[in-house]
Amino acid sequence: MKWLLNWFRRGYLESGLDRELRYHVERRISDLMLSGLPESEARKQAMLELGNLTQVREEVRDVWLTRWLRDFVYDLRFSGRSFLRSPSFTASAVLSLALGIGATTAIYSLVDQVLLHALPVRQPERLVLIDWKGDQAANGFGSYNLLSYPICLDLQLQDRFFEGVICRAATTVNLSTGGEPKPTAAEIVSGTYFSVLAVGPALGRVLGNDDDRTPGASPVVVLAYDFWKTQLAGAPDVVGRKVLVNQHSMTVIGVAASGFRGIDVGQVPSLWIPAAMSAEAIPGFHDLLDRRTRWMQVLGRLRPDVTLAQAQVGLQPWFKAMLDEDTRRAGFPRITAERRQRFLASRLELTPAPQGHSSLRRRLSQPLWVLLALTAVLLGLACLNVAGLFLARGSARDREISTRLALGASRGRIGRQLLADSLLLALAGGTLGVALALPAMRTLIAFLPRDVAANALQSAVDSRLLLFAFLVSVAAGVLSGVAPALHAGRRSLISSLRERGGAAFGGVRLRRVIVTLQIAFTLILVIGAGLFVRTLTGLMAKGPGFATSSLVSFGLDPRRNGYSPSETRQLIRRVHDAIRSSASTQTSALARIQLLTGGSWNDAMTIQTDQRVTTDRDVNLNAVSPGFFATLGIRIVAGRDFDERDSRPEGERDGRSAIVNEAFVNRYLGGRDPLGVRICEGSGPDAKPNTEIIGVVADFSYRGLREESEQAYFASEGDGAGGTFYVKVRGTPEQAFQSIRTIIHNADPALPIANFRTLDEQVNRSLNTERMLAILSGAFGTLAMLLSLIGLYGVMSFVATQRTREIGIRMALGATGGSAIWLVLQDAIAMIAAGTAIALPCVGALGRLVESQLFGVKPTDPIAIAAATLLLASATLGAAFIPAYRASTVNPTDALRFD
Amino acid sequence: MPSPRFPIPQGTLDMLILQILSLEPAHGYGVALRLEQISQSVVQVNQGSLYPALHRLEQKGWLAAEWKESETGREAKFYSLTRSGRKQLAVEKDSWARLSGAVRLIFDEGNRS
Repeated sequence: MKWLLNWFRRGYLESGLDRELRYHVERRISDLMLSGLPESEARKQAMLELGNLTQVREEVRDVWLTRWLRDFVYDLRFSGRSFLRSPSFTASAVLSLALGIGATTAIYSLVDQVLLHALPVRQPERLVLIDWKGDQAANGFGSYNLLSYPICLDLQLQDRFFEGVICRAATTVNLSTGGEPKPTAAEIVSGTYFSVLAVGPALGRVLGNDDDRTPGASPVVVLAYDFWKTQLAGAPDVVGRKVLVNQHSMTVIGVAASGFRGIDVGQVPSLWIPAAMSAEAIPGFHDLLDRRTRWMQVLGRLRPDVTLAQAQVGLQPWFKAMLDEDTRRAGFPRITAERRQRFLASRLELTPAPQGHSSLRRRLSQPLWVLLALTAVLLGLACLNVAGLFLARGSARDREISTRLALGASRGRIGRQLLADSLLLALAGGTLGVALALPAMRTLIAFLPRDVAANALQSAVDSRLLLFAFLVSVAAGVLSGVAPALHAGRRSLISSLRERGGAAFGGVRLRRVIVTLQIAFTLILVIGAGLFVRTLTGLMAKGPGFATSSLVSFGLDPRRNGYSPSETRQLIRRVHDAIRSSASTQTSALARIQLLTGGSWNDAMTIQTDQRVTTDRDVNLNAVSPGFFATLGIRIVAGRDFDERDSRPEGERDGRSAIVNEAFVNRYLGGRDPLGVRICEGSGPDAKPNTEIIGVVADFSYRGLREESEQAYFASEGDGAGGTFYVKVRGTPEQAFQSIRTIIHNADPALPIANFRTLDEQVNRSLNTERMLAILSGAFGTLAMLLSLIGLYGVMSFVATQRTREIGIRMALGATGGSAIWLVLQDAIAMIAAGTAIALPCVGALGRLVESQLFGVKPTDPIAIAAATLLLASATLGAAFIPAYRASTVNPTDALRFD
Repeated sequence: MPSPRFPIPQGTLDMLILQILSLEPAHGYGVALRLEQISQSVVQVNQGSLYPALHRLEQKGWLAAEWKESETGREAKFYSLTRSGRKQLAVEKDSWARLSGAVRLIFDEGNRS
C-alpha cells in the first residue's frame, strides 16, 4: 500500500532526496576545505566517497517503489507511448478485444444472474432442494419438484438434518392496494420461510410460524421492497394497511429487506402470503392439508455438521416409514399393486440449491451455455486477431527490440515489455468492453422469453461482473501477448541486426498458424449460425398450425375477484355474447389453458377399445368451448366440433365427449376408426374410460412450435373458472383491443385483463430463444468472418511482398501472371484447408451441446456445413486474391531491382 | 601504511545506523561522520549506501524524518528513532550479542584443544 502512496508523491520524494544528497556533498566539501584541500580537490574527493550518485538514487527509488513495480510502470508507460504513436493499430486491437470481452461479459452477466448467482441470504450454500423421486400417487399443479404442504411440515421435524425447512409456490393474485385490482406475482410460503433464509424486514416484521398455523386464520402479507418502493412510493405508514388479495382483505405486516427478491430468479414476487391463506390466494384451492396434492417446492437448510449425502441417507428410514403409513391413511387413493410398489419404492433426493429454485433457469440454461460457448470462441478469435496484429507490428519493431537486446536488456525483460503491451491493450479493451456490455445486456434481456425475464433480470454492472471482465481481459491479454513475447525471446540477435532495413522475416509461420486457427474458429461460428438460422426459419415456416393473423387472445380469472362458479359462468357467457355481436370481432372461444406458453395440462390417459390400454406418455390436455377449433381455423378431420350437447353436466368429473388430434390417433388408434372410442384422463385402475371421442382435429402447436404431441380436448365453457379467450377479429387488432376492453369494462370494471396480445405476437414470443440464438450467432459469425478476413489479408500481403523477388524472377523466365497468382494462393488454400480440417471435428463434438436447441436440422447438417464452408472459403480466397493479384502485376525488372 | 579497513558485514549497517540515531537525531552526513568516528575508521562504509539504508529504515517505520535547521544554519533532513525503531534496535542488539557470543564460544573451544 505504501508503494501506491509513494507512487503518487514520487515528485516530492525525488526533490527531497536531491536536497539531502546536495547537503551531504556540500557539507563534505566545506569540511574537506577546512582541512586544507583546495576546492576542486575537495569536490572530487567528496564525489568519490559518495560513489555513483545515479546508482544511489536508483537504489533509493527501489526502496520507495520496489524494482518490480517500477519496471512495470515504466513498461506500461512505454507501451502507452508506443500505442499512441500507432493509433490505427491500437484502435483495431482495442476494438477487437472490446467486442470479444463485451460480448462475453454481457452473456456471462445473464449466465451469472440466471444460473450461478447464489441467493442473497445467509449461507446459501447450505440450502438444498428436497425432491421426491418415484410415484407420489398424487395430483399436482405448478412447475417442477413439487411436494405437498403436509410433507413439508413432516420434514420440518427432521431437525437432525435440517436447521429448517421451507416450502413455497409461485402464483399470481389480483392485488388491490387501494385502486383497481391488478394481477401481481406472489409467493405462497411456509411460516419458516423468512427465518430459515435469514431474511429480515426493512419495515415492520416478516412472516413467522405464528402466521402459518391455522388455515384461513392469518390474513397477513409481507411486501417486497421493490414493490413497496415503486408501487407504494415507499410509504412509511404501509405497515398495518389493508390490501385486497383476490378480494380478501389482508393486512400488510411488513416489507422484506431490500435486495431480497424471492428464491426464483424468473418469478420475482411482489408480496409473500402465508401458506395458511392459500385458499384465498388460489381460488378454488382447498387442498392445503391434503397429502396427495403436490404444488410446492421444498427447500431445507442443512445443519452445519451434516453433509448433503448424510442427510439424504439419514432421511430415508423416516421417509420409508412415512410412505408405509401413508398407504394406510384414510383418503389414500386406490391404486394398483404395481403402482403401490412404485410409491413405496420412492425416495427423497436432495440437491444443492444455493441459487434457489427456478423454472426459468431450467428453460434458459442450455441456450445460455451455448451462447457463452459461442462468445468464448469469439473472444478467442479476437485474441488471435490481436496476436496477429502484434506479430505484424513486432516485425516492424524488430530493430528496436534488437537494439535493446544489444544494449543489454534481458530477453525476459523484453518479453515482459511485450506482455505489458498486450495487457495494457486488453485492459483498455476490457474497459470499452464493459461499456459495450451494458447496452448488449439490455438487448439480450429483450430477447429472452416472456416479460418475466425483463422484470427479474437486470442490465447492471456489479463487482462480480467487473471481476469477471477483468479476469477475462487479463486472460485475453496474456493469450494475445504470449505468442509475440515468446517469439521475441527466441529471435537471434545477430541475424536481425544484420538485416538492413528490409522487411524482417519475423513470425510468418506463427502468423500462418494464427490465421489457420482463426479460420477454424470462424467456420465453427458460421456453421453454428447456419444451424440456428435454419432452426428459426424452419419453425417460422412451420408455424403453429393455425392462422394467427387476425387472432387475439386475453385471459380472465373472475374467481380472483371473488366470483362464485355460477357468477363466473354467467360473466363468461355475457362476454362471449358481447364479443360475437361486436362489429370489430367475429367469433370467440375459450380455452382453460393458454396455448404457446410452454406449459400445458398433461396426464396419462386410458383408452378403451376392444382392449384397455394406457398411453405410454403424457397426453397434452385442454378444455375448450364449442367453436374453439373454428375460431383458430383448425381443420376438423373427422367427426364434429363440440356443441351444446357436450357441455359437462353439473357434478360430473369428466365431460361426455372429447376431441383428439391426428397424432393421438396415429399413435394409439392406428388403423381403427377413432370416433366412438372411449377414453379418460388417468392411468390407474380407478380410471373409467367413459368419454367418447366425437372428433379428430389436425395437429397444431399447443405448448410451443417445436412440440409435436398427442392432444385431447374436452368440452368446457370455463367450468366456473376463468380461462383464455381466443377472438377472431374483423378489422385491425387495435380496433378489436379497444372494443374488447370496453366489453370487459362494461361487464365488470374491476376485472383485470391478462396477457392481451395478438397470436402473431405470441408466436413471436414463443420463438424468442430461437431468435436470440439465430441473431446472435449470425452476428458472431459475421464478426468472426471479418476478423479472420483481415487476418488472412494481412498475412497474405506480407507473404506476397516477401516473394515479390521470386515472382519477378519466375516471370522474367516466362511464367504467366496466372501462375504467379496461383503461387501465392496456394498458401492461402493450405491455410483454409487446414482450418477447415480443424473445425469440422470440433463441430461434431460441439454439436451435442447445441442439439437440444435445434429443430428440423441435425448438428451435422450437411447443407449448413457445406454452405458455411463454401461461404468462408470463397470469402477468404477473395481476401487472399487481392495481394496475390498485386504480386502478379509486378514488373520483373522492378522486382529484381528491389535490393 | 593505512590501517586495514573492513567492508561492513552484510546486514549490520542498519543496526549501526539505528544505534547511532538512538543517541541523538542526525542527518545523513552526520550519521556518516559519526560512523567514521565511532568505528575509528576501522569499518569502511560506502557513504552512498547510507542513503538507501536510511530510506529503507524510514519506509519500515523505524526512523522518522524531518527537515530542520542544521548546525551550519542550512536545512537538513534529520532522522530520529521511532518507538518501533527502538524496539528493533533492542532485538538486533540481542541477536548480535548472541551471535558474537556463540562465535566466541566456538573460537574458545578451538583454542583449548
